[in-house]
Amino acid sequence: MSANSASISASSAGPKKSLKTFGDDIWKNKTAKINAELFTLTYGSIVSQLCTDFERDFKKVNSQLYAMGYNIGVRLIEDFLARTALPRCDSLAQTSEVISKCAFKIFLNVTPQVGNWSNNKDAFSLFLDENPLSDFVELPMDAAKELWYSNILCGVLRGALEMVQMDCDVWFVNDVLRGGQSTEMRVKLNRIMKDEIPAGED
Amino acid sequence: MAIYSFWIFDRHLGNCIFDREWTLKSNQSSGTTNSKLNEDTAKLLYGMVFSLRSISQKLSGEGSHNEIRTISTGKYRAHILCTASGLWFVLLSDLKQEDLSHVLRYLYSEIYVKTVVHNWFSPVDFAESDSEKRGQGFRKIRNRNFLASVERFLGPMVN
Repeated sequence: MSANSASISASSAGPKKSLKTFGDDIWKNKTAKINAELFTLTYGSIVSQLCTDFERDFKKVNSQLYAMGYNIGVRLIEDFLARTALPRCDSLAQTSEVISKCAFKIFLNVTPQVGNWSNNKDAFSLFLDENPLSDFVELPMDAAKELWYSNILCGVLRGALEMVQMDCDVWFVNDVLRGGQSTEMRVKLNRIMKDEIPAGED
Repeated sequence: MAIYSFWIFDRHLGNCIFDREWTLKSNQSSGTTNSKLNEDTAKLLYGMVFSLRSISQKLSGEGSHNEIRTISTGKYRAHILCTASGLWFVLLSDLKQEDLSHVLRYLYSEIYVKTVVHNWFSPVDFAESDSEKRGQGFRKIRNRNFLASVERFLGPMVN
């Protein structure tokens, strides 16, 4: 889609570049690197601890991961905006590009593929070919049916999008850990929330 | 170089979550922080930015972003940074300052994000219930690290 390569003026002064080079730049020059294995193992210990705490009730684990992600997302968005200085997006197509080429690149150093657009362009999928959260992971039999291992990512996206006035549902439809072909996250826009206006203006 | 005051408004538009006003040029620690007396001034300042911001967006035509950056009057200049998440950072200075957007950006990314957003014991949403939204809020940023960093960074610019 040609609109995908539409460039947003990156910072107030900078020249117009494509979102991809923009994301790569920030990842290279403005982001402190940490050991990916430490991160993967930290996340693994959180999930396994939750499974123990909820006595292997994986539905509860999923929703707890989602809630944790949400709380991260509402904070992470400020960090993201501070780094990138991007303005609000005009369309969901642009949002999807920013998510895959900037946000995932900066925070996880992966660039998921965007695809599977719904007919009325209000939902799309992110295909995570590499998922740093689930390196080394093999789900036990009982978990493979119900646990969405990386569910925290759904919460993060939801929380972050809500802070830029987009009310979205985010969920996993497929995961290689559960024997699927690919790891697919679905994002569906419910509505664009209106900015609040001060009392007495409406 | 002289700055007069610094304000932050949150996404529940009209809620002022931080204000700092310097009263004496000669004294960096003069003036007030998060003062009750500034509530009305905050509302007026908010209203001025709100109106001019809507005007500038309407005049820019469809589909292009046009955020307001500075407003000058006969006596002072207001520098404004609006983030996509709905925070407004406003800095009032004398008329000699052409553009302080780098200062605002630093306040946002190096001070606000690091001392408020990255601190899990501080709220990021300063309205705790619906009744505190839309300009009815009264909660302020009280993080010691934030207050100290703002003083350290803006203090030298007061005179």
